[in-house]
Amino acid sequence: MSEELDDIQAIFFEECTEGLATAEAGLSAMDAGDVSPGTIAGVFRAVHSIKGGAGAFGHAALTAFAHRFENLLDEVRADRIKPTPGVTRVMLAAFDVLSDHVAAAQGTAPVPADAQMLDALEAILKAGGAPDAAPAAAEPEPDPFGFEPVAVAIDPLEELDPFGFEPVGVALEELDAAEDAGAPRPWTVTFVPSDAALAHGGEPVLIVRELELLGGEVTAVDLSGLPPLRDLEPEHSYFGWTLSVPDNVDETAISDCFDFLAPSSIVEIAREAAPATDLPPVDWATAAPPPPEPPALPAASAAPRPVPPVLDPAPQAAVVAQPPRAASPGNAEPAAQTIRVDLVKLDMLLNLVGELVIRGSILADRLSPKDQERVELPQLSRLTREIQDTVMSLRAQPIKQAFSRVPRMLRDLSVETGKQVVLETSGETTEVDKGVIEKIGDPLTHMIRNAVDHGIESVERRLAAGKPAEGTIRLSAEQKGARIFVRVADDGGGIDRARVRGKAVEKGIIPADAVLTDEEIDQLICAPGFSTAETISNISGRGVGMDVVRSNVEALGGRVEISSVPGRGTTFTMVLPLTLAILEGMIVRLSGQRFVLPLANVIETVQPEPGQVKPTTTTGEVIELRGNYLPVRRLNDTFGLGANDRQRPEDSLVIIVESEGAGLVGLMVDTIDDRREVVIKSLDQNLYPIRGLGGATILGDGSIALILDIEALVAPASRIQKGLAA
Amino acid sequence: MITGNELGERKIVTFSLGQQIFGIEMAALIEIREWDEPTPLPGVPPYIKGVTNLRGTVVPVVGLAERLGWAASPVHARSCILVVNLAGKQAGFLVDEVADIVLIKDSDIRPAPDVEIGEAAVIKGLVKTATREGGSGPAGDIMVLLLDLEALGITRTLDLAA
Repeated sequence: MSEELDDIQAIFFEECTEGLATAEAGLSAMDAGDVSPGTIAGVFRAVHSIKGGAGAFGHAALTAFAHRFENLLDEVRADRIKPTPGVTRVMLAAFDVLSDHVAAAQGTAPVPADAQMLDALEAILKAGGAPDAAPAAAEPEPDPFGFEPVAVAIDPLEELDPFGFEPVGVALEELDAAEDAGAPRPWTVTFVPSDAALAHGGEPVLIVRELELLGGEVTAVDLSGLPPLRDLEPEHSYFGWTLSVPDNVDETAISDCFDFLAPSSIVEIAREAAPATDLPPVDWATAAPPPPEPPALPAASAAPRPVPPVLDPAPQAAVVAQPPRAASPGNAEPAAQTIRVDLVKLDMLLNLVGELVIRGSILADRLSPKDQERVELPQLSRLTREIQDTVMSLRAQPIKQAFSRVPRMLRDLSVETGKQVVLETSGETTEVDKGVIEKIGDPLTHMIRNAVDHGIESVERRLAAGKPAEGTIRLSAEQKGARIFVRVADDGGGIDRARVRGKAVEKGIIPADAVLTDEEIDQLICAPGFSTAETISNISGRGVGMDVVRSNVEALGGRVEISSVPGRGTTFTMVLPLTLAILEGMIVRLSGQRFVLPLANVIETVQPEPGQVKPTTTTGEVIELRGNYLPVRRLNDTFGLGANDRQRPEDSLVIIVESEGAGLVGLMVDTIDDRREVVIKSLDQNLYPIRGLGGATILGDGSIALILDIEALVAPASRIQKGLAA
Repeated sequence: MITGNELGERKIVTFSLGQQIFGIEMAALIEIREWDEPTPLPGVPPYIKGVTNLRGTVVPVVGLAERLGWAASPVHARSCILVVNLAGKQAGFLVDEVADIVLIKDSDIRPAPDVEIGEAAVIKGLVKTATREGGSGPAGDIMVLLLDLEALGITRTLDLAA
C-alpha cells in the first residue's frame, strides 16, 4: 500500500474514532430515552460513514458488519422499527462489536466473532416486519437497484475498493418498490448557483445545456430568490433549477457538468424516490466524508441564501425538497468549520509561546518599573498572555473523549459482575489539554473498575440495605482555577476501613499498632501492592489498580483524593493540572546547581534558627515549626551533591512542601534564586524519565535547570534510593 | 541505518578517542559543538554526563569513552560534542577531536574482528582511509572503526544492564 494511501487510511481511522464516539453518544442518549429523529439520524450517519470508508479501504469484515448494523438503524430511523429499550440495548451491543471491528481493521485487535450479534440484528429486522429485506441488503455487492448515493461519487477512493463494495444506503422500502418497478429511477438534479456565479464566469445556462445534452429536462425553476425589479443586479444569479436526467446516465457524467461551478453553489444529485414514499432522504451530504472540493456540502452550508423550495413537489419531493440543513433536527446545527493540524506543530507553537512568556518575565526582571512602562512592557505581556491562552485552548479538548469509553466498559463490567450500574455523567464539555486527556484514560479505567468491583454492592445486598437494585456511578469533571477535578462517585457501601486496615497490616504495609485517621486508612487503597478483593477477579484485584491510578496522576502533576461514607458510597477525585506545558516554580540552588521546585506544592519557606532542625536518627532530621515536627530532607544529600561535611541548617533554607504521599515535609536547599514560570521540557524526549525529576527547563541564560518531582523526593526512602543513588 | 548513494559511497565523520580513530555516518550527524559543561543528572549511569540545551531541546551528553567501557577522556581545548540522531532521539557524544570528513566506498568496509571493546556489536566495520595532506595525525593510511550508532542508543534497558 502506498504511503499516501496509508496517510488517507490514517485519516479514515481518525474519522472512525470520531464516528464511534458520535454513535456511542447517540446510542447512550437513546438508551436514556432520547429517541428523537435527530439523535437516531446522528447514529445512522456515523455508522454509515464508517461503513463507507471501510468499504473504500477493503476492510471486508468491518464493512459487512457495519452494513447490517446500518440496516437496522435505517429501519429505526424510518420509524419502521421502534427504538424500544430492548432494541436500543441490542444496538449498543452491536456498537461494541463495531468498535472491535474498527480496532481489528486497524490491526490492534483480533477480528471479533460477530455471528451472534448479526443474528440478533437480523432477528430484530425480521420481527420489525421486513423479513425478506435483510438478506438481500446484506449482499456485499453493489445494489442492483440503484439508489446510488453522492457519497460514492465524491469518495476519491471508491475505485480502490478491491471488493467492489459500495457504500450504498439501501432503504428497504425502496428496495421493495424497486423490485416492483424493476428498473432504476431517473436522476433528480438540483442546482442553485451562488450569487457570484456569473462574476466567476459560471454561466448557469451552459450547465443546463450540458445536462440537456445528457438527456436532462428542466422540471422546475426556482424563482423565489428573485428580488423586485428595482433591486435586480444584472450580474447576480437568482435562479435555481431542478432537472430530471434519465436513469442510464452515469452519475459522474452528471457531476462532471458542475466542475466549473463557482464555490458556495448548491448541487444535489439523487435518484428520484419511488412514488408514494415518504421516506426522508439519506443525508448524503453529511453522511459522506467531507469532499475535497465543491460542489458539495461545505459549500451548501455556506450558501448565502436559503435553498428555495421546489415548485413541483411530486414525485421527487422526498429527495429534492429537503436541503441537507432541513433534513432532520439533528442536522440543524451548521457544520463547525474545523481544520486538522498536526499535533507536533501545535506543540512547537506552544513551546515557542512558552519561551516568549519566559522571555517576557526575564525582561520584566531586568527592567525597572519605570523602564517597563516606557517600553510598554505591560501591554506586550498582556498580548503574550492572550496568545498563550489561545494556543493552550487549541490543545484543549473536551474531556468527553476520555469519558466516552466508560459506558462500554460499564456494560462489560455489568455482565461480568452481575451488578446493575447506571452511569451519570456531567461536565463532559470541560476542556482539558490533550496530553492530560490521553493520560487519564488508564487511571479512569481503574477507578471505574474499582467502583464497580469494590464500591457497588451486589443486588441482594443493595436491596437489603434499602437501596435501589441498580447502583449509580457519577462521573463528573469541572474546572476550578488552574486545576481540573475528575470525580468517580459510587453509591456503594463505602470503604470498609476495618478490612482495609486489617489487610494493610497483613500485607506489611503498616505496623499492627499504627494509629491512623480514617483518611489515612482510605489512602492505603492506593498503596503499592494493596488489594482487598477476596477473590482475584478478572476486573480488579491484582493489587495494582489504585496504585497505578495514583502514580499516573502524580506523574501528571496531580493528586488523588478519596472520600468515603460507610453505607453511602465512595468518591475518588483526580485533581489534575490544566496544562502540562508550563509550571510556576521556585528556582533554588543546591551546591551551585539550579533546580526548579513547583510552586504548587510550596507552603512556606523557613530560615531555620540554630537548633530548630534536630537530628532524629543518624540520617533523619526534623524541623520544629510552631510546635509541630516535620521531617526534613537535605536535597544536596538526596542528589549526591555538595561536600561531605554537612552544611549547618541555619545557613540553608527549608522549604515546607505539601505532598500526597508524606504530608508536610521540609526540603533543605542552599538558597532561593527566583520565582518564575518555566516551560517544562521532558527528559524522555531524548533520554528517559528520571525518578525524582519532573523534567527540565531552559533558563533565561540558556542553561538547563532540572525540575524537582516533589512526590518522588519525599517518598519513603526505600522507594527512592534505587532511583537516586547516583 | 546505513545509507549510501547509488554509487555505493558514503560520507563519514572521523574523530579520535584515545589512540583510536572512529567514524560515524555523516547522515546521522546533526552538528558538532564545543564542549560546554552539561547540567548533571541524578541517578544516571556515569557515562551520561548530563543534559545540555540544543536550541531549546534538552539533549543528553554521553561520554563516548566511558560508554565504550574505557577510562573517561579528559576534556581539553579540542574536545567537542557530536550531536547525532539516534533512532529519532538526539544525543551528544563527547569525543577527543574531530578529524575529518571522508568519502568511503561501501565495498571498502571490512567486518570488524574482535575489538578490545566491551560490546563488539557497536563496531559496524573497519575501513581504511588516507589522511588528508596537512591534516593532523600520522600520515598515510589509517584504520577507522565505524561505530554503529543504533547499538549505542541510550535506553533505560541498556542502562539497567550497564
